[in-house]
Amino acid sequence: MSEAIERLPRPKLQKPFFLSEVSSTVNVLAIIETIFHNLREFFTEIREGIRLPEKMRAMLVSSIVFLMLYGAVMGSTHSLWQALSSAVKLPVLFLATLIVCSPTLYFFNVLFGSNQSLTQNFCLILTAITVTAVLLLSFAPIVLFFLLTTSHYQFFKLLNVVVFAITGSIGVAFLSAGMRIVSAGGKEGAAARRNVVRFWIVIYAFVGSQMAWTLRPFIGAPSMGFELFRQLGGNFYANIFASIGEILGFVTVM
Amino acid sequence: MSQTKPETSSRVDQILDLLLDALLERQKAREEGGFQPEEAPTEPTAAEPSAPPEPELLLEEAEVESPPPDEPLPPPAPVPAGQMGRTLFRLAVGLLLFVVVVNVPINRHGVSLARVMPDSAALIIRDGLLVKGENSDKVYVLQDDKLRWISSLEAFERFHYRWRDVHVVEDSFLDRFEKGRAVHVLLKCDGSPHIYRIEREQKRWIKDIPTFEAEGHVWEDVQFVSCQYLRNLPDGPPIPEDAGPPPQP
Repeated sequence: MSEAIERLPRPKLQKPFFLSEVSSTVNVLAIIETIFHNLREFFTEIREGIRLPEKMRAMLVSSIVFLMLYGAVMGSTHSLWQALSSAVKLPVLFLATLIVCSPTLYFFNVLFGSNQSLTQNFCLILTAITVTAVLLLSFAPIVLFFLLTTSHYQFFKLLNVVVFAITGSIGVAFLSAGMRIVSAGGKEGAAARRNVVRFWIVIYAFVGSQMAWTLRPFIGAPSMGFELFRQLGGNFYANIFASIGEILGFVTVM
Repeated sequence: MSQTKPETSSRVDQILDLLLDALLERQKAREEGGFQPEEAPTEPTAAEPSAPPEPELLLEEAEVESPPPDEPLPPPAPVPAGQMGRTLFRLAVGLLLFVVVVNVPINRHGVSLARVMPDSAALIIRDGLLVKGENSDKVYVLQDDKLRWISSLEAFERFHYRWRDVHVVEDSFLDRFEKGRAVHVLLKCDGSPHIYRIEREQKRWIKDIPTFEAEGHVWEDVQFVSCQYLRNLPDGPPIPEDAGPPPQP
């Protein structure tokens, strides 16, 4: 009897909607875990072009969510509107920088003998952004702690600059490692391509900082009302030096 | 009963002797360095593949028996799959909740936890707070939950306020507070009996003492300056406005 029941064709159960949502979240997070635990395998798959769209989708979703959260934390210093605005602007900052900078990396690599596609390049830069986003998320509780306990505006601004510098550096280190693995096949021009990556990282940093300056404010000056964008003028580096000057008591930044 | 007791005791003795012999044999074997367990683990066959050992067990074995120095170290125990993903997910959800909580207004002025702490606040609601509306030139000082208009630059400077402490706020923020008595500067010179109130950089003559008192002024607020200084200030409307042409000091 029981054997007969076992042989009966089983009805195909359809996953409930919420379970499919959960499983897609798990997939997204599984790809992040692969980046952190099996980096070589992950980059090898990018080199072989295995499931690139799926990877890109997962990295894009996770980066946007994590950057939105970090942006909301930054903006909470000023107002709810600033928190919402920064939550939107921070992912835009990273993705816009990615779009602006990826053609340069691709064409320079091709020039020096790489056979990678633009999608592979895009995927590699997205990996760097994902790593940066995950690390930013890990810093978010610390930033929240300073937001709630001390934080002078200029100090809070510099704290965030330091956090971005650390996480961004680790992100581009992942990119650099990925480039070496992905272009391991082509021996010709390998040294030149390594230099291209270094050169590109400098460009990426400059474009990123200028993009951040254009999209500011992310924190919001305490003496000013909420504004989606601030008037252009000055530059990122001058402002950072002025902030350091104010913390050390040399100048007052208005 | 009496017959069974010696039998049981002899059996126990026999078992104990056997155990002791076995222990002695093992000890001897260990001292010689050639100890081998009696039941060697069976080799996994192709037909019956054995389950891979648990990571925790691997760790325990590694701790108990360290490998000889010439052999390569065993690979690290694999991290359980999904652990980091779960942590990330929990961190993100926790952070989201925290961000919502710190942005919920907690006091009657609508200030949230993220902005209520000293120094980190965009605006700390306290006595002495200087604010200015976005679309107005009027600067107010908050005192006893009332906004007091600082009527002149003279008053601003004489009360030692600093421009860098003035916060530009939305006009709707100003509407939340009741308006209190304005902060004025009252000036008088030695050679003249008249008292003037400074408003918008103009001097306004106060007609008489009842008006002076009705306006809520006290003698301690009156400051002495030179008559020439007063004469140089332009005249504003007198107090009350129907008091007639203002006299010069």
